This record gives sequence, structure tokens and C-alpha cells, in this order.
Amino acid sequence: MTRFLAGHRPRVIIGKKIAPYVLLLPFVLVFVAFLIVPMIYAFNLSLHKTALVGGTRFVGFDNYARAFVDPNFWSGVWLLVRFGFIQMPIMLSLALAFALILDSGLVYARGLFRIAFFLPYAVPAVIATLMWGYIYGPAYGPLAQIAAFLSLPKPDFFSENAILGSIANITIWEYTGYNMIIYFAALQAIPADLEEASKMDGASAFTYAVRVKLPMIVPMIIVTIMFSIIGTLQLFSEPYLITNLARSVINSHFTPNYYAYTLAFTAQQYNYSAAISFVLGAVVAVFSYAFMLASNRGTR
Amino acid sequence: MGIVGNTVRSARFRRSRWVLTAILCVYLVYTLIPIFYVVTASTKTNADLFGTFGLWFSDDFHLRENLVDLFTIQDGIFLRWLGNTFFYALTSAIGAAFFALLAGYAFAKYDFAGKRLLFALVLGAVMIPQTALVIPLYLLFSKVGLLNTPLAVILPSLVFPPGVFLMRVYVEEAVSDEIIDAGRVDGAGELHILSGLTFRLLMPGLATVFILAFVAAWNNYFLPLVVMSTSDQFPVTVGLAIWYASATTGSGGNLLFTVVMAGSLVSILPVILAFLIMQRFWQGGLSAGSVKA
Amino acid sequence: MTNQKSNGAGFSRLNRRQLLQSSAVLGAAAAAGGVALPARAEDKVKLTVWAWTPRTQEMADLYMKKKPDVQVVVENVGQGAPHYVKLRNAITAGTGLPDVALIEFNSIPSFRALNALADLSPNLPAGFGDQYMDWTWKAVSDGGKVFGLPWNSGPMALLYHADVLDRHGIAAPETWDDFAEQAQKLAKAAPGTYLANFGVDPGWTAAVLWQAGWRPFRTNGTEIEIRINDGIAKNWANYWQGLIDAKAVDTKPAWTTEWFAALDNGTYASWVTAAWAPILMEQAMKKSFGKWRAAPMPQWQKGGKVASNWGGTVFSAFTTTPNLKAATDFAAFMSADPQAARFWLTEVFLFPVLTELVDDKNLMGHKYDFYGGQPVNEVFAEALSQVDPSFEFAPFQDYVNLQIEDHFAQAIAGHGTLADAFDRIQDAVVAYAGDQGYTVK
Repeated sequence: MTRFLAGHRPRVIIGKKIAPYVLLLPFVLVFVAFLIVPMIYAFNLSLHKTALVGGTRFVGFDNYARAFVDPNFWSGVWLLVRFGFIQMPIMLSLALAFALILDSGLVYARGLFRIAFFLPYAVPAVIATLMWGYIYGPAYGPLAQIAAFLSLPKPDFFSENAILGSIANITIWEYTGYNMIIYFAALQAIPADLEEASKMDGASAFTYAVRVKLPMIVPMIIVTIMFSIIGTLQLFSEPYLITNLARSVINSHFTPNYYAYTLAFTAQQYNYSAAISFVLGAVVAVFSYAFMLASNRGTR
Repeated sequence: MGIVGNTVRSARFRRSRWVLTAILCVYLVYTLIPIFYVVTASTKTNADLFGTFGLWFSDDFHLRENLVDLFTIQDGIFLRWLGNTFFYALTSAIGAAFFALLAGYAFAKYDFAGKRLLFALVLGAVMIPQTALVIPLYLLFSKVGLLNTPLAVILPSLVFPPGVFLMRVYVEEAVSDEIIDAGRVDGAGELHILSGLTFRLLMPGLATVFILAFVAAWNNYFLPLVVMSTSDQFPVTVGLAIWYASATTGSGGNLLFTVVMAGSLVSILPVILAFLIMQRFWQGGLSAGSVKA
Repeated sequence: MTNQKSNGAGFSRLNRRQLLQSSAVLGAAAAAGGVALPARAEDKVKLTVWAWTPRTQEMADLYMKKKPDVQVVVENVGQGAPHYVKLRNAITAGTGLPDVALIEFNSIPSFRALNALADLSPNLPAGFGDQYMDWTWKAVSDGGKVFGLPWNSGPMALLYHADVLDRHGIAAPETWDDFAEQAQKLAKAAPGTYLANFGVDPGWTAAVLWQAGWRPFRTNGTEIEIRINDGIAKNWANYWQGLIDAKAVDTKPAWTTEWFAALDNGTYASWVTAAWAPILMEQAMKKSFGKWRAAPMPQWQKGGKVASNWGGTVFSAFTTTPNLKAATDFAAFMSADPQAARFWLTEVFLFPVLTELVDDKNLMGHKYDFYGGQPVNEVFAEALSQVDPSFEFAPFQDYVNLQIEDHFAQAIAGHGTLADAFDRIQDAVVAYAGDQGYTVK
């Protein structure tokens, strides 16, 4: 480890005290310029109101007062709560099961499965939604074709009862492999000597995986649940891109982010839209915090 | 349990191995069906797309014609979109990974005033809805004349908080304090110590952050949709979405669904390739990063 | 992409030879006007034009042949909603607007409310408006001011699938009562086949209600009258609700691939639509090509002669353009050059707005293969003359359309009736108008 002595010395030697600030500077600069400043700008927007007639004026927290009692906003939140209760358990338990199976080495062609399951993550949401939109097609989609061939009634993936499941399926398809890879990596990082020890006990690979390995990656599972909660509450692209196909069940305030989008870009209510976004941010924080509290209690 | 012989165990082992492999194969089919659908659709004529079974090829193999259309329609704008996407994603990902490395290293190896607060801020940034940022970014960029320039997409993509988080955990694991102390004893400056760390030591973490940032930028749709206004600046996601809409209404001249499908296929291939090529690195980075997470 | 794809004016069928012919005509005209010297690039006036219509650049190239000192760049930033969102964003930002953009008739009041449209009248010769069909000129002008130049219109008719109607012994309905009767008859005779689909489509809704006499908005400066849920609307809602409840019409989303296919294979036997519709139908509908016919729009009163207009576009310039004179000249060329307009009509189904062309018996007698040789322009020309010009769109029409979409969708999904939907739309729009600072009367 003497290679630091080799070669030229830098002219300016940065000491231990200021080094972290120098290292952080580039990130903090872009962080402030492209995240904090826009946030402040958006917050300022949310305190004003621009009307077609009368121009812009300061209204304090009026937009927030309105947002807190806006049924369009809360119906979107409620929808996502229901959506999350379907989608998250399916996606994460599939991801976990696959990670455990792959990690246990109990299957053939591990590498193939690992990479194939992860592939959908590389497909842009735009294209994923477009593909599934065709597959769901009520008359010419392959699923409808199969149903017709088997003389079964044609499935309607865009009906009121099915739409949540149809969108959940797209997101499950997109993100199961991603979560699986995270779990898999965590499982692989568990030192091997534990494995040897348990093999000597004669525990089957499966009970070993569930009893010994699973508890060890609980912190990782909590992190993925957190990210899934955040991602779920911000759901936008998939319903937005599938709207044309399911116009009678996806309205302009289907999810809170969708609502913020239509408010800003169709209704020209930039100010109110900014307030809705901040309230959504608060809702996300509350859900995340509540989950953290619950998981702390659960793992204690 | 201890009495159970080796032979019994291995028979059971083999059976469960087949059962589990079969289960994974079912999910494999599910994973590949949409991609396979795009592949078959890219090889069809527009009439066959709606007239033949969706999950198999039709007799009229039309892939070459669709690809020719794809790359010649509107003076070959699709190639330009691919190039844009590649440029935006590459520059964003290199910048984001590099900034994340420096910041993650600082969080991992130094104590300094405001560390906890700053880290909490970085993590909290994940909770901000994208719609909340796109509108103010649009208005701010318009003030400084950056709208409809590559910078309008690249600059915001340099902020990649998950990368900082991942790099911090990774550096804590992979770079021992002894190495740093050895450097200090030798009288090397702090930045010199970092730059002297071996490629091998940092590569897995850096590759992981790079590929995640690359995918995020490659898939970005909403930001470029809002900040770009001329088609020569569009990334492939925005361009394809517009083509898809034109194909739906039939007003797009020669634009056909099959061409949109071929475009989808061509645009997901590079990322898949990048994954395959780099998988050795990023999977290593994830496992190191996950221990502490 | 929402409903505003209404007049997706496309040049899909235009072939190069025909384009060259018309460019030769224009070139000759330019030469007759004097020898134009090629200008150096830096002297050129540059015009940016946003239009979603494909091959518009080629049209602009014709213009540049005529005016070598102008460089026109056509950009497609999306069609329908994305196009308008981009325009509004640029207006909000104060930068990034094109010099000229294509907008639909129903968006003119909205962009005027944002004070974004330039008055073109100073650079137009006196009496320029006389050459246009009356209501189209009325829609773009206010007093002496002109906020856009009409390019094409969307006179409405009933397009029907002749084969399907013949097979079931149904004649093209003359009145809406006939229409309802035959819808029920067809649904009974051939389950799974419908006379029409009632999809959620605000542009279409406004257009057919226009025919029924609905006049939801009267804007006077900052005062606005809002009568969305009047008796006319309620009657109309009950009419369609009856057909929906009786399952005599289908209720699938419009403008999807599947919907086009259903029109093509005869699942939907008719579509009350505008003259531009074949632009969209022609390409997607190979099976039914040649089997479509046009009949006058069904009437509410027997023997009535009331039609309507759906869509149609104008070229507008923005107040931010530094080259208003050139922008006006370009818009005038695109809008009023009779040679080009003739061409777009016969080849591309873009119905003209110039009286000279609408009165041209030869042109109106043009036979179309898509319509099995029927000279449909006679139907559309008559319809255009039967459009009542007193209809006004709201200065925030996109918001109104959004409400129509949301609340109609709810009714179609079985939550309340269409008549209830009109009440809810009225409430939402009144609240919005008040919020935007209008005095609602």
C-alpha cells in the first residue's frame, strides 16, 4: 500500500477537515440547483394564484387548505392504498421467493433466470405500457384471441373491476426482477460459513433459507417496502399512458400525480398543482414514517 | 435427521430441483411474453398484426421492411432519437456516478458538521414526486435559455440520490480505513488517496450506480417530454410515444403500428446488451452494497 | 393524446408527382411576379411553425420556392393535447413559442384568453376575409382583428357502412328518431353489431350538441354565461342514455386501434363524423375501403336542415413573433392559396374554407374511391352552409373537455346518467370559471 508515494504529488494538498466538503461540492451543487431551488420555486408557486382574469396574487396557504379537503385528491390516494395492498405483497413475495430459490442453488440455469427476470427493468415504462396495452386488447390482443379459441368469454382488462389489476400486473412485471436482484445480492452477501454450519445440522436447504437466511435480510426487505410505498404513491406513467385504452375508468384524477399533472397542464392551475404535489409529498412522508414505526416495533 | 443417508437426500434434492426450476420457468414465460410479442409484431405487416395470432409469427415475414421503414421515415429521425437517448443517458450516468462516488466516499469516510442533516436531505429527496419538479424546472430553464437543449435533460439527471446512498454503503464495506490511513501516513493528500484507490476496488460500486443511473436516464420520459420541443432533440421514449399516437389516429402518413413495434424492439436492445455485458460488475456492487442496507 | 385528434389533417395520400405538379404551378406564379434572387442565409427571415400534420414541411417548401428570402421550419411537437400543452407551457414561460402554429377552431378562445394570439389584420389586404365561408371567418375574427386564418373545416355527415345496412335492410336514418329505431333494430337482428358507438369524446359531443341548438357559453370580456346543463343538453343526454340502457349502441373508448378495427369490420355500422374522418379511416380500414357512404346528419326535426362542424384548423401567429409580417404572409399562403386547397381536398379530404372552392361544382363533384365513387363533397358542402355560426367555445375549453370526459366516463361506467353528468359538469365549470376570475352569469 505504498503506491501513494509513487508518482507525482499534487501541488495542493487538501486536508482531512475540508476534504469532505470538497468531495461533496459537485453533488451538492447539482442537488441544490436542480432539486432544492426548483422545490423552493414550486413552494413559492403554491403560495400564489394565477387566474386567467386578474393575474397573479399572493394567497398564503389557501391552496393547501383547498387541497386538504379536495375529494379528487383523496380518492386518488385511496385508490393507491388499495393498489398497494394488491401489488406490493405479490411483487415483493415473488421477488423474495425467487431470490431464495436462486440463492439456494436448487435450480438449473441460475444465471439465465437471474438475468431474464431482471430484463423488464430495462424496458422503459412507455414501451412496457404500450406492449401490455396491446396484449390486453379486447378484440385483437393475444389473450382475447386465446379466449376466443377456447370459446371462453373475452376478458375485459379495462373494466372498472379489472383496471387496478391490469395496471398492477404491468408494474409487477416491471419491478419484480429488480427487487429480486436486490434480495439476491443481500442473500449472497451472507457469509458462507453459516451455510456450512447449518448443513452439518442436516436442515434442508429450504428450511435453512427461511429460518436462517431470511431473517438476515429483513433490513433489506424493509428498505424495498419503503421504496415500493414511495413508488406506489407516485404512480403516474402507467395509468397515464394507458388512459386512451381505458377512458371510461381512468379519469383525470386517477392518481394524485395524475391529478397534479392535469391541473398543471390541462387546467392551467400551476399554483394549485404545486400545492397538491407538496401535500402528496407529505402523504408519502407520513406513510413512510408510519411504516418505519411499525417495522421498528415488529423487529424489536 | 442425522441418520438420513446421503442417497435419500440427493434424490429429494433432485426432485425439488426440478420442481423449483419448473416454477421459475413459468415466471420466465410471463417475463418474456411481452418482449416476445414485440418481436413477433415487428416481423408482421400491419394487417397481420391484427389478423393473425399475436404470439406467433405470420407467414409474411416483414421484419426487414419494418426496419427499413423505421430508419427511413421522416428522414431517419429514429436514428437521431436513439443517438440523443444514448448521449443523454451516457453523459447523465457518467456524471451522476462520478458525483455519487465523491459524495458517497465523503459520507462513508469522514465526519463533518451537518453530515446527518445532509444525508437525511439526500434520502428525503426520493419522496419528491417528479411532477412537482418538472414544472418549476421548466420555468427556471426558460429563464436561462436552456429549454430544448440537451442540458435541460442532462443537468437534472445528474442528481441521483440513490447513487449517493449506494456508494456510501459500498465504500464503507469495500474500502478499509487501513488503506486510507496508510495513505495519510505516507503524506498523501485526501483527494490523492481517493484517486489512488484501485480501479478494482471501486469498480463494482461505480458500475452499479452507473447502470442504475443509465437505466433511469434511458427510460426518462416525462422530463424530456416537457422540456424538449423540437423532434431533433427528442429521446426515443418521447419520439415513440408521439409515433404511437400518430399511428393510432392514422394521421401519421406511413407510420404503422408495426414500425412502432420495431422501434420499441430496437430501443430496448441496447439496454439489455448493456446489462448483459456489465452484469459481472453491477451484481458484485449490489451484493457489497446490500450488507449494511 | 386525448380527444383533440379531431381534425388530424394528414397528407398521407399525397404523392410526390402530384406535389411536384402543384409546385410547378406555384413556381410559375412566382416567376410571373418577377425574378427572385436567392437570398443569403443570414438575410433570411426564419419562421418556426408547429403543426402535427405530416408532410407540412413539403407544403412549406412550396412556399419557400415562392418566397426565397423566408426559411420555414416545421416542427411536430405532438398531436392534440401534447401540442396544446407545449404551446401553453411556452406561453407561461414567456419563451419558446413558435412564430406560427396550427390550432383548432375550438382552441381559439382559449389562446385569446391568454393574450397569446397576434392580430394579423395589419398585414392583410382589405376584404381578405370575404373569400372565406362566413362562420369560419367569424370564428377567427373579432371586430377588425384577426387571430388566425382558417385552413380547413369539419362539416359533419353520417358516414355509414353500406354493406352492413343493406344486409339488414336498414336505410340511412334521416332523423335522430329513425336513428334510434334502427339502432335498436340492428342490435336485435345482429347481436354484437351496432349502428354506432357512443365513446367518450368531448370534441364530438360539442359538435353534435351544436347541431341540437346547445349554446353553452357566451363570453363578453370577463363576463361569461354558462348553460351547460340546459334543456337541450338534458334531452340529448336522455336520448343517448336510452340507447345505452337498451344496449342499442356500444360504449367502447373511441380512437383506439380496436375501435378503428370495429368500424372496419362492420361491428359499428356508422359514425356521425366530419369531412376529415377518411384521413384517419382510409389507412386503418382496408376491408371496408370503398364501402362507406355519406348521408346528411340525422335531424332533430323531420325535414330539418341543420348541420354542424367538428374540428377544422387555423394558422395563428403569436404575439411573441418578431416577424409578424412574414408569419402573416405564410399563414395567408397556407390558408388561402386556392391551388393548394383544391389539392388537399381531392387528395387528402381536407375540406376547404374558401367560398370559391365550396361553390365550385366541378370540385364538389369529385368522386372518391374511399366512398365507392360517391361525390361526397356535395353532402359536406351543403352541411357547411347549414352550420349555425352562433356557437361559442369556452375560453378554457380544455378544462370543459376534461370535465366532459371524466363525467361521461362515469355515466358510461354505470354511475349515474348522462343527464346527471351534465349537472356535475356545469357545477365544475362554473366553479372553475369563478376561480379563474370570470364573472359567471
